[in-house]
Amino acid sequence: MSLLIVVGAILAAVFAEWVAPYPPEETDFEALLASPSREHLLGTDDLGRDTLSRIIWGARASIQAGFFATVLAMAVAVPIGLIAGYYRGWLDTVIARVTDVLLAFPFLILAVGLAAILGPSLLNATLALGIAAIPPLIRIARGETLALREEDYVRAAVANGANDAVIIGRHILPNMTSTLLVQATLTIPAAIIGEAVLSFLGLGVQPPTPSWGVMLNAAQPYLNEAPSLAVYPGLAIVIVALAFNLLGDGLRDVLDPKTER
Amino acid sequence: MGAFILRKAGAALIVVFLASVLVFVGVRAIPGDPALAYAAEDRDPKVLADIREKYGLDDPLPVQYVRWVGLALQGDLGTDTRGLPVAETIVTRIPLTLELTFLAMLIGTVIGITAGVIAAVRRGKASDYAATSVALLGLSVPHFWLGLLMIIVFAVNLNWLPASGYVPFREDPVENLKHMLMPAIVLGTGLSAVLMRQMRSAMLDSLGADYVRTARAKGLSEWSIVGRHALRNSLITVTTVIGLQLGALISGAVVTEQIFGIAGFGRLTVDSIAQRDYALLQGVVLVVAVGYVIVNLLVDVAYSLINPRIRVAGTSN
Repeated sequence: MSLLIVVGAILAAVFAEWVAPYPPEETDFEALLASPSREHLLGTDDLGRDTLSRIIWGARASIQAGFFATVLAMAVAVPIGLIAGYYRGWLDTVIARVTDVLLAFPFLILAVGLAAILGPSLLNATLALGIAAIPPLIRIARGETLALREEDYVRAAVANGANDAVIIGRHILPNMTSTLLVQATLTIPAAIIGEAVLSFLGLGVQPPTPSWGVMLNAAQPYLNEAPSLAVYPGLAIVIVALAFNLLGDGLRDVLDPKTER
Repeated sequence: MGAFILRKAGAALIVVFLASVLVFVGVRAIPGDPALAYAAEDRDPKVLADIREKYGLDDPLPVQYVRWVGLALQGDLGTDTRGLPVAETIVTRIPLTLELTFLAMLIGTVIGITAGVIAAVRRGKASDYAATSVALLGLSVPHFWLGLLMIIVFAVNLNWLPASGYVPFREDPVENLKHMLMPAIVLGTGLSAVLMRQMRSAMLDSLGADYVRTARAKGLSEWSIVGRHALRNSLITVTTVIGLQLGALISGAVVTEQIFGIAGFGRLTVDSIAQRDYALLQGVVLVVAVGYVIVNLLVDVAYSLINPRIRVAGTSN
């Protein structure tokens, strides 16, 4: 089920042109703040734009930000964490210190700051979210490596004369995949929500381009008249984020032999 | 132990120093002319030149940095574009955010740890599924959307709680809590969800470990196994998570305060970015970083108290 939703959301994002009933910026001044009808299944916003279409188009921004920010963060953080945790010494000290400096800024503060520096756009928001997600991932990868290198099988491999690459690649990395997987499944939805927050604050996707955060921001003045404008885009975020989280949990159960116990 | 704490404190000082450099450079990297922000609408070159002269904006960056840090060490963070002292503005805003964060943490920790332990102990039963599902939902709901929904339901429709604003605790404790309840729940949801998941996972690992099997073999009561053995070891993971989550709470406060119209620290951050108020932004982010480093230091110390192995391993290298 969760896989279906994730695949569905990705397909909707990729093929928005064909899936969405209307172009995202097409206005219908005959139907401003309209309730759901056959023409507009989820109603329209204050400019008469079709809510359903804008949600489908908005999936593009969310999926893109969530996926690429996570890939960027993992690709940078995991090797650094592995090296720091495995070799320790001065390299570890330097990496740990740099991580600590970046960790001194909470995720969203860092992302908000980076987005402010880079300028508001989807690409920059994705970069900002990806960079902001790196420090905690380094810390987790490093912590796991520190613990795993003390395991008996790693000592045995060392005693057998295995080289560092083999130990890191064959013994340590596979044993931390479940932890990394859990972290990745937490990072994707966090980045999706992060994109919505940045766009909500005006630091991500810029109107009139549709994004779930932009839509929620635009819905604020109409909480009394048209509360549904604030409900549907948020529901879209929840459904997609939840699906990613569920998918990750399922993967963890399949991949981690410990949970079979 | 003393040496361990000293070493950690020394490292924290270095982090604070590097963070201050990063804040300074970062804020300067934001596009736009700081002098323009001070001048508001006035684009007269002479006015701008006077402003640059007054705030030393023409000096080389290292000179500006040293002056900023020197004054910051004396508690002076400069003046913002409205001519108000930044340090004073921050001091008046902090209590609101601290109260909000404290309440959110209280709600999040109590719910998260309890639910996590119950889910792990009753693994595979209905209560496990219920707790796990609710936690997943909590992780997937953006703060600000939950906030909007709560406003629609509890403020607009039911009229039970105020939609926005803040009343100081000393003036009226009941009104204060009424105003803080929705924001604190909104902010605490994410924490409780993360804690529940980590707690459940850590407890499951602990409950499957050899020492728990030994404890069972010795005939210890289930209560003692869960409480004294598994829980204690699981708390190691969870302590770090709470420390890391504090950042999420501060981040969350930014958005939560925005939605509930609480003029706290988070709101100040967004406003300072929106208004390109460099002095204010610099001060705000610096205070966040310093506060966060101090909390992380405390987490490290707490961590080593719970898990002596870390301390020993840390000292020997």
